[in-house]
Amino acid sequence: MTFRAVMVISLCVSVGLAGIFESGATDVFLEATRPDFQKIPLGVAGIQNIGGSDSLEGQIKLGGRIEEVLKADVRRSLVFSLVDLPSIGIKISNLGTGPDPVFKQAAEHGVSVIVWGKAGIKNGDKDPDVNMDGYVYDAGSDEVVGGKRYVGSTSVVRLMAHRFADELVFRYTGEPGIARTKIAYVSEQGSARELFVMDYDGYEPRQLTADGFLNLMPRWSPDRRFLVFTAYRNRNTQDIDMIELATGKRWTLVSLGGLNITPALSPDGNFMAFASSYEGNSELYRLDTRTKALQRLTVNASGDLSPSWSPSGRELAFTSDRSGGPQIFLMSGDGSNVRRLTFEEDYNAAPAWSPRGNWIAYVCRTPKKDYKLCLITPDGQKRVQLTAGPGVDDSPSWSPDGRHIVFSSTADGKSQLYMINADGKDLERITFTGTHNSAPTWSPAS
Amino acid sequence: MKKLQSTICLLLILGVVALGMSGCSKKAVQSGGDTQSSQQGMAKESDGAIRGGASPSFPDTSISGQDASSGLRGLDKSPSEERVGNGGNTLMAKADPGSAGRQMEEIRAEQSASTAAGLRDVFFAYDSFSISEEGRQALSRNAAWVKSNPSAQLKIEGHCDERGTSAYNLVLGEKRAKAARNYLVELGVAANRLSVVSYGKERPFCKEHAEACYAQNRRGHVVVKAGK
Repeated sequence: MTFRAVMVISLCVSVGLAGIFESGATDVFLEATRPDFQKIPLGVAGIQNIGGSDSLEGQIKLGGRIEEVLKADVRRSLVFSLVDLPSIGIKISNLGTGPDPVFKQAAEHGVSVIVWGKAGIKNGDKDPDVNMDGYVYDAGSDEVVGGKRYVGSTSVVRLMAHRFADELVFRYTGEPGIARTKIAYVSEQGSARELFVMDYDGYEPRQLTADGFLNLMPRWSPDRRFLVFTAYRNRNTQDIDMIELATGKRWTLVSLGGLNITPALSPDGNFMAFASSYEGNSELYRLDTRTKALQRLTVNASGDLSPSWSPSGRELAFTSDRSGGPQIFLMSGDGSNVRRLTFEEDYNAAPAWSPRGNWIAYVCRTPKKDYKLCLITPDGQKRVQLTAGPGVDDSPSWSPDGRHIVFSSTADGKSQLYMINADGKDLERITFTGTHNSAPTWSPAS
Repeated sequence: MKKLQSTICLLLILGVVALGMSGCSKKAVQSGGDTQSSQQGMAKESDGAIRGGASPSFPDTSISGQDASSGLRGLDKSPSEERVGNGGNTLMAKADPGSAGRQMEEIRAEQSASTAAGLRDVFFAYDSFSISEEGRQALSRNAAWVKSNPSAQLKIEGHCDERGTSAYNLVLGEKRAKAARNYLVELGVAANRLSVVSYGKERPFCKEHAEACYAQNRRGHVVVKAGK
């Protein structure tokens, strides 16, 4: 990866513009990660293997595997800073269920939380259960504040680590964490493009559609049980379909004719906004998911597309080329109070409103004609270029905690998926196989 | 420089004011051309909205409607055993070999019919959907063929290069396909013999990251339509 995050703050142009049409509704929530937010130093003392002497290959590696997943989750939480205990001279050889004498020593080095655990596979069974126990020591109260005991099949080992990581985030922030979230995306299979879902860290991909043609731009339902997406029913007709993840059951929601793209469910699930060209050119519509009433939101001879709901569900950001090249606009959920948000350069598209409300991520074309990610505040006051370097970046989608963005990029040649922190740090590639992975969309938290 | 900038700012403000106003009064606006009033959009309610779909059923997807079992339970000083399920992780898509096979067959049929007819594609400049002189010549040739083959239907597929967003390229691809269709209509081809579809940047002809390849992909691909 050659691209490095840059921060380019632009002044001028849009100052105060959006404010003129502000309806008074605020969509900015308090941030847990304020600039002065101090990460909590956390050390993972180890996940020990337990079990009989007839160790299976998997059993030997089990604790290490869980520890590796847990550490990665802790690091990505951005709530904790991961402390390497051996590097500060803390060595723990035999962990029990109570606090080890060296924990106090670690606390003196500034470590606030120490977690450890044990894991084992029940031998003998054809379909053995895995057990994992995890414990949490808090330096502030100098005690083991609690633990978890998990059991499940060998296929859920990573999930146990993810659950434990989310419990840690929940304990220290009251937020659910993102370690159990999923990312839906589109993957090229031969000449077709099919929907897939994977864990947020790129593991456990599974294929959802296999119709041999095009399935594009999925979006999650608020309850994470469904995806809505554009499906080419045949090579000539495009619909918006819904699929239930647990069953694979799939049906058509919108079949109007023309181009039907970029569906997005409102945070309360009451509306689905989408773009359709069935009345001529691409316009935005809002479908009431209960009454099935269809309301047209935009009326002009240009292309309107890519609606993204504000976290309150009161407003929409969208792409429109009514002023020439595509730009980001905002409007109320009923189509009123339209105002232009972006003014830099002549190509800005694919807006994604942060679940915290404070930023809108989008694809911006730079003066060098590169397609990169930018962030802008909904009042247009502040703009930041988040990625730089070669390749086409596309389809930004926020993690539910508002701290990360997943996107596709051709920076390494083929289109693959990456995540980056909202402050431009920790760029991480998360897909490594396949000829073309695109259109990632991050699930809500559970 | 500063003065120029503030002039631009002022112009943009005026532009936004105009946009805001047109947004407010949109219900009274008839856009003309090939857009229609929002009233007609509303009329879709009565025929089950979202017409033609197999089932217009829309489940409750609100968070209150979800099953709470996946939630966190907090740390416990003497934790009881929690079974971790895989949440339907076993689901794998079943390919529909019938559908995939049918698609392949139709694509082959379209391609060979189009080659036999000598149909020509239209190529576009970066960011553009306007038809060049070369494009007009290609379309004239296609128009002559379709006029002398009165039972044939033509389909124009709009394609884009990999630059830009997936979503906007679908809109741009549709604009390209419609520009080609409109020119064929100008040449006297009946509109009901022409259909358009946009593939954006999702079905590229060429996959290299170079202008020679991009130029191949910015295309209105004209084919003899087969199947539905």
